[in-house]
Amino acid sequence: MVNPRDRLRSAGRRNPVEAIAQQVTERVVDLLVGALDVNELAARIDLNALLDSVDPNVILDRVNVDALLDRVNVDALLDRVDVDALLDRVDVKALLERVDVNDIVSQVDMDALVERTDLGAVIARSSGGMGTEALDALRSQAVGLDRWVDRWVQRLLRRKHHAPSAPATLLPTEAGL
Amino acid sequence: MSNRRDLVSYQGHYAGSVSRFAAYAVDLAVTSAVFSLTLAVVSYAAKIVTGHDVNWNRSNIVVIVLFVGWQFVYFGYSWAVAGRTFGMALLGIRVVGADGSVVGPRRGVIRALVFPLSFLFFGLGFLGILVQREHRALHDLIAGTAVVYSWDARAARLRFLAREAELNPPPPSRSLTAKVAALP
Repeated sequence: MVNPRDRLRSAGRRNPVEAIAQQVTERVVDLLVGALDVNELAARIDLNALLDSVDPNVILDRVNVDALLDRVNVDALLDRVDVDALLDRVDVKALLERVDVNDIVSQVDMDALVERTDLGAVIARSSGGMGTEALDALRSQAVGLDRWVDRWVQRLLRRKHHAPSAPATLLPTEAGL
Repeated sequence: MSNRRDLVSYQGHYAGSVSRFAAYAVDLAVTSAVFSLTLAVVSYAAKIVTGHDVNWNRSNIVVIVLFVGWQFVYFGYSWAVAGRTFGMALLGIRVVGADGSVVGPRRGVIRALVFPLSFLFFGLGFLGILVQREHRALHDLIAGTAVVYSWDARAARLRFLAREAELNPPPPSRSLTAKVAALP
């Protein structure tokens, strides 16, 4: 920091007239500063206009954020956070309403989940049974034979266009499984 | 033939000929058995009351009319109330409106009434199940109905995968219970 009076002081050492002028100037400046109401001066400054002229990006470009974060003690910061109070302020219901649960569930690979975890054994034990297994097998075989016969009929009739697979109202729901 | 794993994904699709004829065969067996049992019970009761043997001749017109009437009641009631007969429930198929809607009592009864028409000319009306694009027989076209697969394919698929998983258990490190047990 450079004091503007230093230049006058150095000049005063060389010339007595200048030394007097320097003392007069210092006195005038002191009187002037004493008479100034800094608060009133600050109130007259348009801070918004001043801030508008500042480009925050330029400032941020010059800030070393990594270094700044290195100096922050996150643990100490978190110790000061009252998590319970924070959670009390969160409207969980409103938050959940914004979550698309169906979308999340649709992303779950149920086949992989059943195959790779004990969940499969749990389902097998709870919903299994010889009757259910036999019924599943019977229906699967019947569907397989249906498709096989249908393929041959389509081939014999030389149909090139696929027929609708299901009634219109069942397509997006049941048939879409 | 398709892999069984893929077959369970046809729920809601038009049912094919094998499933439909198998369901009808089951229904025919059930209705015939119930009818024969009823006749036997009636014969036994008549013998006790009158003391004479009552023999039902299958070519007797009364027996034929009773059997046809019983068939109509069985199919008509089943389709009108539940949209499916016992055989259809076993094979996992059901009757719906042509657009997929619930068949309802009116269409169920109409379907039962026009069902015999498909038997005419050596069962020509059933040919539609094979060649018609929506697998609809003559009685389906007249009654405005269709037959679709209705069994819970998703549950069946999970059961199928579960049985496979039980036969070939997952490695211990990927066990869900082990992961849950390891939770703090």
